[in-house]
Order: sequence, then C-alpha cells, then structure tokens
Amino acid sequence: MGLIKEPKNVDFTVQSEPWTEEELKDFRKLMNEIKVKNAKKKLRSSTTKKRVSA
Amino acid sequence: MKLSKKIPLDFEIDKLTNSIENTSTDEVFDTVVVQLTLKDLSHIHKSEWQFDWAKEIKDKTKEVYKLTTINNPTIIQGLLSLEDKQDHIFMHLIESSKFNKGKDKVYLGVPGNLVAFACKISFDKGYQGFLAFDAKTALIKHYQETLHATHFRGLRMFIETTAALRLISQYFKS
Repeated sequence: MGLIKEPKNVDFTVQSEPWTEEELKDFRKLMNEIKVKNAKKKLRSSTTKKRVSA
Repeated sequence: MKLSKKIPLDFEIDKLTNSIENTSTDEVFDTVVVQLTLKDLSHIHKSEWQFDWAKEIKDKTKEVYKLTTINNPTIIQGLLSLEDKQDHIFMHLIESSKFNKGKDKVYLGVPGNLVAFACKISFDKGYQGFLAFDAKTALIKHYQETLHATHFRGLRMFIETTAALRLISQYFKS
C-alpha cells in the first residue's frame, strides 16, 4: 500500500476544539460498542480457525 | 490565520520510520517522528507556523511531535499535538510546515504520516487505535475517504481500530 497523498490544493490541517462532556460521553459509549463488536469478531475468528485446524 | 479564530477542523519512536514523497521528483524519503521538548522551541519560528506551537509544548496535558526526514533531522516537515484521554487519544493540532502547504508544497504525505503515528500511540497505550479530532467541514469527506475516519457529529470525527490498523500498516515498516 502507498502513502496517503493529499491533493496539492488541499492542506490537511487539524485544529480541534475541546469536546463537551456530553459529546465525550456519547463518543465513549460508541467507542465501547465498537470495542465489544471487534472483540466478538476476533473471538469468532479465532474459534473458526481452531475448528479448521482441529 | 489567528489561533483565536475557532476553526474546526517513553516509547521506541526511533524505530517508527515511514516516508514522504517529493512532489517534483517523486522521490521518497524515510522519516521519523520525535517528541518535542521545551529545548526544541528555538527551532520553531513563530512566523513560519499558523498555530502557537510554543503554547502546545508548554501545555503539560499535551505531547507535541515533529516529523522530519531521517537525513535532515533539523528540518521540521510537520507538527502534531496530542492529548492522552485515558481511553483514547485526542488530536488537538496537525500542521504541515510552510513549504508543505498550498499547490507548491514540497512533500506529500506529511499529515497522513502524523495521523498514522497518532494511531500507533493509541495502540501503544492500549486504546485500540482510537483517535478523536475535529475536521473542517470541507475536509470531512476527504478524511473519510483517505483516513477511513468515521464522522461522529458536526465537525467531530474519529478513527477506530480497523482504520487505525490500516493506516499503521500503510506507514510503518514492521
């Protein structure tokens, strides 16, 4: 895979503002949901691999 | 642009090498990301940067990193300011150096390089790659397409585990 090259006319600059407590709360909730989903996927994947190799 | 205008938008770092590409010659140069300290302030000339990086370095809640090529460690290609939020990394600022901005920019890949580094830090700290930041409205789609970032709400965006892994594999040599 190559580098991510921004177009010449685009300047990728980030200047973030602090997130509100509510935004952080909602983000953390979503983040935890994604983490749980990823953990389940990983578990399912490792179980499948074990079955194949058994 | 003035900072007051509200516009959204000890690990082994020496081993984290990646690269940037010269826009004229297409040559690729290996790079390194190094944390900045107060001692480095003399290398950052305020007139050459849009953001107040001295303020960032002095802020103890933040960590500031510079991207340079391996062969030219004194020439800063871009700067990054991060905060450890205990369960994710928050990206406060990213800025490419003056000569890496606009249609005549010298190198491509500076910001992507720094974002990938931020994701790597998130993994190193056990946050599974989660990285939060704000985007300028016009760049939300661009970040979704290039960084595989997720639009959270308004100008808020984040990068989750799968996207972070993809970025790291693109930039960091194993």
